[in-house]
Amino acid sequence: MRIYLEPGRFQIMDKPAPTHQTKTPTKKEALSREERQKQLEFQNEAVVHLHSLYNYALHMTMNPDDAEDLVQETYLKAYRFFNSFERGTNCKAWLFKILKNNYINRFRKNSKEPGKVDYDLIKDFYHSIKDTRRDSSEADTDYFHSLLHEEVYQALHSLPEEFREVIQLCDIEGFTYEEIANMVDSPIGTVRSRLYRGRKLLRVQLEEYAKKYGFNTGDDQ
Amino acid sequence: MNCKTARVLMSAAVDGEISFKEEKGFLSHLSACKECCDEFDDAKKTKMIIKERIIQFKAPQTLINSIMQLTNFDTRETEETLLYE
Repeated sequence: MRIYLEPGRFQIMDKPAPTHQTKTPTKKEALSREERQKQLEFQNEAVVHLHSLYNYALHMTMNPDDAEDLVQETYLKAYRFFNSFERGTNCKAWLFKILKNNYINRFRKNSKEPGKVDYDLIKDFYHSIKDTRRDSSEADTDYFHSLLHEEVYQALHSLPEEFREVIQLCDIEGFTYEEIANMVDSPIGTVRSRLYRGRKLLRVQLEEYAKKYGFNTGDDQ
Repeated sequence: MNCKTARVLMSAAVDGEISFKEEKGFLSHLSACKECCDEFDDAKKTKMIIKERIIQFKAPQTLINSIMQLTNFDTRETEETLLYE
C-alpha cells in the first residue's frame, strides 16, 4: 500500500463503505493507462495531504460535517484540474489554495460578522471533537507548556482571521512565506507583518490563560 | 538598525525567512537592545507552542473512503496493473 498518512491509522479499504452524498461511478470500466498513471500520481502527490486539509478545513468551518464537505469538494476539483498542477511545486500548497477558494465561495457568502469570536462555539466544538485527537507527547517543562491544548486552541481562535490564518499556515502547516503570500493573495511583506502582530496578540492571550491558572509568567522556568 | 526595522524583520527571523545580510544587522541590534531581544524570544516561544500544542485531528474514515471513491481509486488493481504491464 502506498498511501501513508499516519502510522497504523490509515488504511485503504478494499471495498469502501457507501457514503452519503457522493455519487461515484462504480462501473468497472477499463481505464486507460494514462488515466491510471494520473490516479497513481494524484494519490502520491495529493491524497497524502488529506489529513492536513481536513484539519485546516476544521479550523475554518468549526464544523466536522462542513469540513468533510469542503475537503471532498477540494479533492474533486483538484483531481479534475490535476493537469494544471505545476509539477515540482508544493502540491500541499496548491490543495490549500483550492480549499480556501472553495471555503470563500461556499461559506463566506452568508458568514458571521468578521472579527466576532464565539467562545462558546469554540469550546463546544473542541469538546465535540477532542476524543478523536491524536496523541502527543506530554513531556514538557516550560510553563507555557502547562497550558492545555484547549487553551492554546482557544487563544488561536480568538485572533482575527487574517492573523490566525497566517499563523496556522506558517507554524502548523510549515508553508514558506512565498507559499502563504500566494494563498492569502497578499505580498510577502504583509505576511511578515501579520505574523509579527498575530504572534504578539497570541502571546497576550496565552499569558492571560497562564495567569488565570496560576502559572508564573514572569520567568521561563 | 533601529527597533522599528528590527520588528519588521522579527517574524522572518523566527521563521528562517531572513536574508544573510538582514540577519547580520538584526542580530547585532538584538545584542544591543534587550527589549527586542526579549520580544524575539517570546515570538520564538509562541511559534513553538502553536506547533506543539495544536492538536491534529484524524480525518474520519468516511471521508477517506469518499476521497478514494471520488478519485475512483482501486489502488490494488491500479498498482498491480501498472507493475505488471
